Formats: sequence, structure tokens, C-alpha cells
Amino acid sequence: MRSYLRQQRICYLLQLRVLSTSLFDGLLAVFFPLMFATAALLVYRIKDDPDGMQYAGLGAAIMGMWTCQGVIASSLLTRERWAGTLELLVAAPIPLSRVLVPITMALSTIGLYCVVATIVWERLVFDIRLEIASWPLFVLSVLMSALTLALFGFFLSVTAVRYRTSWSLGAALEYPGWLLCGFLVPVDLLPDWLHPLSWSIPTTWAMAAVRDAANGVSPWGNLGLCVAVGLVYAVVAAYLGRRLVESARRHATLALT
Amino acid sequence: MTLAVEATELRRTFRTTTGTVRRTRKDVEAVKGISFHIEQGELFGLLGPNGAGKTTTIKMLITLLLPTSGSARVLGHDVVADTREVRRRIGYVFGGDRGLYERLSARDNLRYFSELYGVPPRTQATRIDELLELVGLTERDRERVEGYSRGMRQRLHIARGLLHDPDVLFLDEPSIGIDPVGARELRATIGNLVEMGKTVLLTTHYMFEADELCDRIAVIREGEIVAEGTPAQLKGRVSGGRVVEVETYGVLEETVAEVGTVAGIRSVAVEERGQQQVLIIQCERDAEVTQAVLARLGDVRVGRVTAREPTLEDAYVELVTGS
Amino acid sequence: MTSLRIFFIGGLMSYRAMFGWLNPWILVPSLIVSPICQILLFAYIGRSAGVGNDEFYVIGNALNYAAIPCLFAMGATIGGEREGHTLGIVLVTPARRIPLFLGRALPVIANGWGVAMVGVLAGVLLLDVHVPSGSWPAILLVVVVTSASCTGLGLAMGAVALRVRESAVLGNVLFCVLLVFCGVNVALDDLPGWMATVGSWLPLTHGIAAARLLADDSSLGDVTGLVTREIGVGAIYTVLGLALLRFFEGESRRRASLDRT
Repeated sequence: MRSYLRQQRICYLLQLRVLSTSLFDGLLAVFFPLMFATAALLVYRIKDDPDGMQYAGLGAAIMGMWTCQGVIASSLLTRERWAGTLELLVAAPIPLSRVLVPITMALSTIGLYCVVATIVWERLVFDIRLEIASWPLFVLSVLMSALTLALFGFFLSVTAVRYRTSWSLGAALEYPGWLLCGFLVPVDLLPDWLHPLSWSIPTTWAMAAVRDAANGVSPWGNLGLCVAVGLVYAVVAAYLGRRLVESARRHATLALT
Repeated sequence: MTLAVEATELRRTFRTTTGTVRRTRKDVEAVKGISFHIEQGELFGLLGPNGAGKTTTIKMLITLLLPTSGSARVLGHDVVADTREVRRRIGYVFGGDRGLYERLSARDNLRYFSELYGVPPRTQATRIDELLELVGLTERDRERVEGYSRGMRQRLHIARGLLHDPDVLFLDEPSIGIDPVGARELRATIGNLVEMGKTVLLTTHYMFEADELCDRIAVIREGEIVAEGTPAQLKGRVSGGRVVEVETYGVLEETVAEVGTVAGIRSVAVEERGQQQVLIIQCERDAEVTQAVLARLGDVRVGRVTAREPTLEDAYVELVTGS
Repeated sequence: MTSLRIFFIGGLMSYRAMFGWLNPWILVPSLIVSPICQILLFAYIGRSAGVGNDEFYVIGNALNYAAIPCLFAMGATIGGEREGHTLGIVLVTPARRIPLFLGRALPVIANGWGVAMVGVLAGVLLLDVHVPSGSWPAILLVVVVTSASCTGLGLAMGAVALRVRESAVLGNVLFCVLLVFCGVNVALDDLPGWMATVGSWLPLTHGIAAARLLADDSSLGDVTGLVTREIGVGAIYTVLGLALLRFFEGESRRRASLDRT
């Protein structure tokens, strides 16, 4: 058990180092969603309605997470494949899941960093002071957003790794996620036929839970749904991952050489 | 004693598809039922041109690829059924500069893979130090890999492959793209491994490398083993002959073909060296071919003509060109 | 005549060479799906915030997204040559520089125009937007002008990218600057004063304003001033870009800095 935890911890730290080596890259990753958040906040600012700013401020924070973390996660396996390390991970004697869990945690950490960076930016530039009714529940909801988004990203990554152009997948998902997850636009406002799509993304529920926690409503219902949806993706991803490795052994698709 | 590696009738076909609109499928046999074995402590060379099936064979042995038919065991464990046991006992190193985390330092790369290979925490740090020392990267162990030269990456790969002290090491063209000094150091490192009692399977297409290092060699061509034996035995297959090298300038293919018809000549190969084309002529020991060859060459400008004993490379060329 | 050929044929060829690797799997999402998503996103944000109408966001974001090909393609046709080590080869040819680089801009402008028009059409089809049929020709023209001036900025960016090499980063940053400062989603009057001032010196700002007026039934004559300013701003960046290219070329001959990797 101790050696298991140690392996998880070290792999987590090293993966985090891989993901976040340069300050420049880090700033740039936040920059793009931050500018979109800024544009959106400029729109909301016109009405000068504190509730609107609170709504947009919370949404913008989780929106940054969607971009940084989701986009990186969806190209995760593709990156390992291009670096030639995917083969080595598979050839190692420990089960692949023990490699992937710490990677998921490292991704979540990046997501949390984006949330904090966005909140600081909102405070400095727009002077938004988010009113959080329950800090413990708010932090819990944000943590669950990060975790379930990592699982969702991992699911995308397993699905996409076979396609050579899966690089562009993450970027292509950025905008739809911004639209669907209720960050800056309430899901109810979208056309009805899009609702099931929104509900199928764990981040939608996580966003709702974050708002509940901030506004003093019990977030547990939304948190429960968020975890449930996230777990479905985790199970499917684990199954697909095993299939992927088996099929790779059969069809020699693991390496790109 | 169990054999380190035992391959029986290993076969692997790939299905390739060509064309984007109208897809045509084709089965390609990369490895056509090869059998060989490696004793423990042996350094075994798998030689062959690009695309001969060397890497495919290795990938089947290291459990990354399932054989289409046939079987293989590594230290008595089946590579299809007992993957965990096999993976625990083998190291895999491939050539080129991929397969490392560019943004991590050499030490961190090794730490990461130590965890994946379950190296006990207590011995990990000393193990990594030893290996960095072995491959001569101690001085620069905290630099990011992205700044490493090819030779350094390659040595780091070897350290990575040795982390869990595997009994059998698979080295797939480890010296590819390394400068001569680096390659010499690499050969010394590989030599040390065998002294330490490791079993090594090495693939390469540098003949002198194989000649210097390997206890036994198998030459693989188009997925089949065409010869197997010690370097001396393989050379013996072409000895009893002689090699004449003729430097020419601007020789035509027809002329080369004509040279090949001279009595006593077994084969003619052309090697481009700058502006020259050097004809490498394998001939019977007693045959006196020089005059006849020069006559056939006619007006072609000829430089030096030399005769020498055959090398492993000559044996290899003869084997893989199928003459 | 040679210059003309360099302008048209050379430009098209180099454009295709740079973008040959872009297959439909990347091109379709990035140049059709993404702009439509951006338009929908801000249109819904506007609805949710109760600010503006759909037409405002459709025109702003469609034109904003035209900046993506204008910046990236133009940056890539110049900056990419450095990465491919072909810039030196191009520069030793006797071709005249201005048609050489401006020729490259032509297909880029067409690309930007196409992206913007796809956006506007999508807005008309998907959202509550009605553009009077008489306004279309004038809008098409204004979009051409706006793409051209954005491409001018792209040329300047490409020139800078020769030196700093981070062409993709520059492109992203500039795109975001245009998004925030050019009145894409917030009318210039509603922006803080200093932001509006910055915006009026960027391409896109006046083009967007002109297109919005046209969609509200103004005639081309009413927006002449805006269109002229858009052209003027674009021209400033184009001249700046050409001057930078000339400067870097001269400097590289003195100091061999162009092909250094």
C-alpha cells in the first residue's frame, strides 16, 4: 500500500512537471480563455448588475478550466504516442491504470491553477468580489469539477488516440464546451435539443454545483450527478483503454514509427 | 538452464490499407515463421536490412505485438500469456531520439520509469546514480532532455532499459544516428552488460558493430532467417573466396552486368563513394579476374584496383542480396 | 509582367505550399465550426446578459474570426519559410519584394473573406438576424476591405515572427487583442475610453462598425468614412510589415541572422 501511494505520488509530481515546465507556456494556456472571459465580462458589465457579474465571474473561472485541462487531456495519449513513450508505458509491468491515475491528478491540478488565475484576474481587472456562501462546499465543487473533467478528457483521449489528427480535437471542442456547459450562458437558454448534450458532460453538473455552493444552495444533488456522469466516462474509458492496448498488440498501432 | 529467448515458428502478418478513397487491403507478411534461441549470457545479433522484420520480431518478444502464429518464450515465460512476468524481466531500448520525456531531466525520466518498473524505493536513488555513472551522464543529470544530443539520449535510453536490472535486454538499433565516438562508447557499454551476465539481443545494420560484439548472429531477410552462426562461421561462408575492389568513374549498369559474367566471379556489387563507383567483386580464390574485368570495363576510367580478404560485411551483403 | 506573375501565381503557389499539410480534418473544424461556435457563444451571452441583439454579435464575431486565417496564414507564409529553411532560397531570387509578399496576401484575403461570410450566413440561418437584401453587395465589399486590413496586420506579424519565431503565439495573442479591443462584442462607446482608443488604431474596428450600419439599412455612402479609415489602418500595418521585412532582409545579409535556428 505504501509503495503504491509512493508510486502514485512520484508519477503525479513528474507528470505535473511535464505539463507545466515553463511559466511562459503556463501563462499562455490561461491567456486564451481569460481573454474570452474578459470579452464576456465586458458584455455583462454594460448592464451593471451585480448578480450578472457574479454569474459570469463564476462561469469564467470554470471555463478556463475546461480549456486548459480539457484540451490538454484530450490529446494526452496522442502526445505520449508521438513522444514514443506510450509503448514504454504499456511495456512496463505495472497496470496501465496505475500510470493513468496520477496523470489525471496532474491534469486536475492544472485545471485548478486556471480557476485561481481567472479569479485573481477578475478581482484585479473587473473588481469582481465573488460572494461565496459556503467556502468548503465551493472548494469541494471546484475539486470535483477538475476531477470529473480529467476523467472526461481521458475518455476523449482514449477515443481519439487512434486518429492522427486528434491534435485538433481538443481545440475543436473548446467552443462547444463553452456553449454547452452553462459557463456564461444558462443551459435553459439553449435550444431544447441541445440539453441532453449538455447533461452528458460532467462539467455542466459541476458548474451548477459550484453556483449552488456560492449562492448558498445545497450543491449535493448536482455534485452527485457530476460524479455519476464522470464515473460513467471513467468506466467506459477504462474499458476502451484495455481494448486499445489489446488491439494495439494485435494490429501494431502503438508506435508511430 | 532455461533459454533466455526461444522463438518457434514466429509469424506476423500486417494488414495494410492503401488509398484514401478506394481502400484496398493487402496482407503483408513481415515475419515468416522464424525460429531461433538465445542462451543466457549470450549476445545475439539480429542483422538485416531495413524492413526485414527485425523490429517486428523484437516487438513480439517484448509483448508489444501478438504473433499471428507460432510462439515465443522469454526465460521460460510465454510472451502472449505471461506478459507481466516477461515484462518484469526484460529491458527494451530502441534507437532514435523518441521515447523520453523531453521536458524532464535525465534523472526525472529515470525516476518516473523506476516507479513504473517497481524499483524498490530504498534502492532507487543509488540505482539511478549507478546507471547515470554507467552511461556517463552523471554530470548533466539535472538538465532537461530536450537539450541532449542524440548520443546522450541513446545512453539515457540504455540506462532506462536497465533500471529494474532486467535479465534480458533488447536493443533495437541502438547506434542509429550516433557519431563514431559515441558509437564506440556505446559498444563498450554493451560489452560491459554482457560481462555483467546479461543476455542481449541486438539488432543493427552496422556490420563491424555486430562483428565486434556478437557471440552469434542471425541474418534476417524479408522475414526469414537466411543464415545463423558465429561471426567467424558467417565469414567462412564467403571465404574460400576473395574480394577485388575496382574504383571506377561513371560506370554504367550494363557494364557492371557484363563484368558479372566473367568466369570465376560470384557477384558484383556497386558502392557509390563520392564521385567514384567502387565495384566490389566476389570471386573464387584462385580465379585471376582482374585482366578480364578491366577488359570488360573498356573506356570507363578506372582508379585503384585492390584485392582483400572478405569481411563480415561482404558475407552480409551476399546473404541479403540473395546471391 | 514578371512582377504581376510573381504577384498572382507566386502568391498562390506559396500559399498552397504552406497549407498543403492542412487536411480537411483540421480545416473544417477550425475554419467553419469554430467561428460558428464563437458567434453562437457571444450571441447567447448577449441574450443571457440582455445586451445587444443577435445581429450585433453575428457581424462582430464573423469578422473577428476572419482574422484567424488572415493572421495565421499570413504569418505562416512568411514565418514558416524560416522554419523550412526556404526563406534564404526565396530571398536570393531576383524577384521584387513587394509583389512577392503582397502576392502572398491575396489568397489569404480570400480565405478570410470566406470565413467571415460563412459566419454571417450561419448567423442568418441559425439566429434571429435579417439583413436587407439590398445591403449584401456593400457588406461583401466591406468584408473584403476588413480582411485585407487584417492581412496587413498579419504581414506585420509575419515580419516580426521572423525575428521572434513564436508565430503561433503571436497570432493567438493578436486574435485575442482584436476580440477584446475592436468592438467585436461591445460597442466602442461602451468600452473604457483607453480601450476604445486602442481599438480605433487596430484593423477590424471600423470594418465591423461599417458592416453593422449596412446591415441596419444604411447605404454604402453613409459608411464611406469608416471604410476609408479601415483601409487607412490596414495600409499602415502593410507598410510597416513591408518595411520590417526589408529591414530584416538587409540586416540578415549583414549579420546572417535569418536562417539561424
